Amino acid sequence: MKYLFWVLLSVFLVSCSDDDYVAIENTLLTVEVPENFPELAYDIEANPPTQLGFELGKKLFYDGKLSSSGFISCGFCHEQSSAFTHHGHQFSHGVNDLEGTRNTPTISNMAFFNEFAWDGATSHLDLFPIIPITNEVEMGETMTGIINKLIADAEYQKEFEMAFEEGGVNAENFLKAISQFMVMMISSNSKYDKYVRNEEGGELTEQEAYGLEVFQQKCATCHATDLFTDGSFRNNGLPPNPQLNDIGRAEVSGSDSDNYKFKVPSLRNVSLTAPYMHDGRFGSLESVLNFYTNGMIESETLDDTLRTDDGLGIALNDTEKEGLLAFFEILTDDTFINDERFSEY
Amino acid sequence: MKSIYKLFAVTLILTVFASCSNDDDATEELMGENSITLEFDNSVGSDDLLLATSSYTNSQNETLTITRLNYIVSNFRLTNDEGEVFTYEKDDSYFVTSEETGSTEVVLENIPAGNYVSITFGIGVDQEKYLQGAEGQGDFLTVAEETNMMWSWQAGYKFLNFEGTFTSETITEVTDFKVHMGSHGSSLDNYKEVTLSLGTDALVSDEMSPIIHLVADANAILDGENKLSLTEQSVIMVSEEKSPQVALNTASMFTVDHVHNGTGDSH
Repeated sequence: MKYLFWVLLSVFLVSCSDDDYVAIENTLLTVEVPENFPELAYDIEANPPTQLGFELGKKLFYDGKLSSSGFISCGFCHEQSSAFTHHGHQFSHGVNDLEGTRNTPTISNMAFFNEFAWDGATSHLDLFPIIPITNEVEMGETMTGIINKLIADAEYQKEFEMAFEEGGVNAENFLKAISQFMVMMISSNSKYDKYVRNEEGGELTEQEAYGLEVFQQKCATCHATDLFTDGSFRNNGLPPNPQLNDIGRAEVSGSDSDNYKFKVPSLRNVSLTAPYMHDGRFGSLESVLNFYTNGMIESETLDDTLRTDDGLGIALNDTEKEGLLAFFEILTDDTFINDERFSEY
Repeated sequence: MKSIYKLFAVTLILTVFASCSNDDDATEELMGENSITLEFDNSVGSDDLLLATSSYTNSQNETLTITRLNYIVSNFRLTNDEGEVFTYEKDDSYFVTSEETGSTEVVLENIPAGNYVSITFGIGVDQEKYLQGAEGQGDFLTVAEETNMMWSWQAGYKFLNFEGTFTSETITEVTDFKVHMGSHGSSLDNYKEVTLSLGTDALVSDEMSPIIHLVADANAILDGENKLSLTEQSVIMVSEEKSPQVALNTASMFTVDHVHNGTGDSH
């Protein structure tokens, strides 16, 4: 068992209406940081995941009640089989068949990041769910509306009281529960991870090893560390879609110097997370590589690392591209996408 | 009659002297704790702010009718006459004041007895608090949402929500304006703090719970130290240049008008 939880038993008392005290057992879950990963960014001490908090978070994650229509849950767009992205959908789909303007990003290893959403609209994981929940074209709800629905639900009331020592159903505990679920969603058992950690099953083929080498030379400046992103916002030279003209990070900062910058995405499970880019314009990884070799356009905020003496982009020949495509395959973590702890059913 | 006045004056002077020399004793006599009420009285220049009623013309010759003035005040600190600073419990120190709902009072509970000479507070939510995530939020998020102070697309807070309509020399048709100011994710921190001298000491003890009457001059938001023209831009939300100017202007809109010492139940 890779995901072994060091279980500490904590027992606390929940008061019942008839003033009897019933001992409810809740167990503290320990988040194990994979040895090839950087430090956690999430403050575990402020919101230590517990078994009941995690389960409550999972229930909320898959509950359509979080949307105005009652049907769109978080899991609707974040499907486990696609590494918690919306496979085959360029944009996120929401209530009343409305459609967003950005591609659903993966949810994995969130506890290691400081900025969330393509433009870094929030810098705390706990607060992130507010964005899709309140977005009219996603879940179209309000925080107040959700809290009222949960308060009216006797089962949720009980679950909140069991999972949290104080507060019961409120916005703080609601967000903490969802975070506990997301914090536990660590993907670190791909073939690549096993290779890096010298574990069984980590033997790379010649092609895969070559792809890794090409990747380290040509991609790892931005897709850095074993999270495969440095967490920065960059303009990678995509021609803006004139119908959307999404200016990315500049929406948040209000600064022209951030125009068309988007967060460098992680490449974990990248073979499963098509389509690609913030607007999901590319259906395949081949198209992504072709874009990096020939599709880039110049603009004031284009990332400097993509300007070379030979022109814009990343020089890659066909052999190198094939190597990279083989390398991308070994970033798939089957343990993660099949992990029953995170499954809807 | 004259002599009575003289006698009165002498008595008054003596009383003043007496109370001066007894100052230390008086402080010692302030025992226990009590609440302090802060009343945020919104105005425009020297006029009372009446939402969607009066119009106000500023120095830029723009005439505004204001329909909303909400702001977040936070992180209260009180300094006493001995220079000691009392910091209000951080998790409990975030309040939305709203002219439209009439909730313009902030009550700070359990303030230790003392002679307070100045007050410091923030406008908005500091990054330290924001970066605690859900921790310690309680219901503040839903309070902010219900008062139009949640900036939901970036999961943040509007520190100021100032809206209405205006006309100017060039914009003669009544036009909406919206000024929403807050921090911009991790890239721009617009939280500001202000320290105000109380003028009159606010006395807190078991028996005394003062009311501090603050005036917020909404005119300063656009027409303060920094001049922001609605004619030029009528919707100011996320602007690297203008948002910090709005933040500075807003922080400078507060003055202490007067302090009521007493039991706190009368003005």
